[in-house]
Amino acid sequence: MASYKSPQLRDKLAAEYVLGTLRGRARARFQSLLRYDPSLRRSVAEWEASITPLAAAASEIAPPARVWQAISRRIAGTARAGVGLTFWRGLAVTSATFALVLAAFIGMTPRLEPPMTMVAVMNDDRGQPAIVVSWPPMKAMRDPHLRIKVVQEHPTMASGTAWEMWMLPGGKAAPVSMGLIGIDRDQVMKITPALAGRMGDAWGITMSVEPAGGSPTGAPTGPVIFKGQCVKIL
Amino acid sequence: MNRSAPDALALTLAELLGQSALKNQRAFGDLYQLTSAKLYGVALRILRRQDWAEEVLQECYVNIWNHAGDYAVTKSAPLTWMTSIVRNRCLDWLRRPQAEATGVEYDIAVEAWQDDAPGPMESLLAASEGAAVARCLQQLESKQRQSIMLAFFHGLSHTELARHMQQPLGTVKTWVRRGLERLKGCLSGA
Repeated sequence: MASYKSPQLRDKLAAEYVLGTLRGRARARFQSLLRYDPSLRRSVAEWEASITPLAAAASEIAPPARVWQAISRRIAGTARAGVGLTFWRGLAVTSATFALVLAAFIGMTPRLEPPMTMVAVMNDDRGQPAIVVSWPPMKAMRDPHLRIKVVQEHPTMASGTAWEMWMLPGGKAAPVSMGLIGIDRDQVMKITPALAGRMGDAWGITMSVEPAGGSPTGAPTGPVIFKGQCVKIL
Repeated sequence: MNRSAPDALALTLAELLGQSALKNQRAFGDLYQLTSAKLYGVALRILRRQDWAEEVLQECYVNIWNHAGDYAVTKSAPLTWMTSIVRNRCLDWLRRPQAEATGVEYDIAVEAWQDDAPGPMESLLAASEGAAVARCLQQLESKQRQSIMLAFFHGLSHTELARHMQQPLGTVKTWVRRGLERLKGCLSGA
């Protein structure tokens, strides 16, 4: 977009981003620009360095002890099966714009199947897109399946481990296993009709590292490496 | 002016971050002890709900643990780096549909920000990091300063600022923009 080239506008956006008044879609758009624009990142860093120390002027409030307890459980790697609700709720919502771009890309591949109407871009812990999952309306398919596209240089799957994909239904419902994935760039994952019936509720998809053969408990037990929000694109 | 205290803290925090990058859990515990009340205060003011602030704080510290190694390549002060992580997560959080629906159930504690001579700024003037911005803020017109502070400390959007200050949206947007411009001018001249 041409307007983003104006130095004054760029600096104003960086300032309002740091101040917090850049909201909603404008904030999301700005964040996706930041990813590819080092000079914009520098501008943000400069504003952060000048404005953010203001925070020291505000009074301190000690958080309840349970916060540290939860943190220390998680960093100790003892969070087996204990990846809390917090974690699922914390899914980044920054990938929507990126999802649209990728959706357009996915949409170009020739195929003889219903158009993909949903997409979830799973980001890694640095916020970089790793895997894109897309699917058409499940009702339109006799053999329900999802398309999986690995967009990142594939990290190695340690031996004795498997990657399991999970669908996050709305509300407080527990993650539902979708199955294990392979290492190919393009994959098709067949899913059960029961899961297909629930895909309409999905708001997020995550990937966890599990023992070979998949989670022994039916719930994610290992670290979650990718996560993304489901976005309707058609 | 006591300049040695904040600098000593910054050095300590930088070292604790370095240790955390090496997965030293005790160092990370110390880091939490030294910073969590500050960062929780930041989150609570912006999110205005204790449960959200707790979740965000938890997320952010796990994030800091996982990315402590990245700190070394930034040139920012440790507390600024950590505060930015928390502020950004809070502002992202406010974009969720559930978060937008909460309305104004929170009575904004305006603290001293409405005064012409904001009190907490005085303590900031004594600190090395925030001194420049505190001094420059004092040179802004009071409406510009007030809107910038409400946005910064309480996470008010333009719309919320307009409601809170009982002014048209365009007016508060201009206050914020001009205030930031003048702030930049003052900071670069300082």
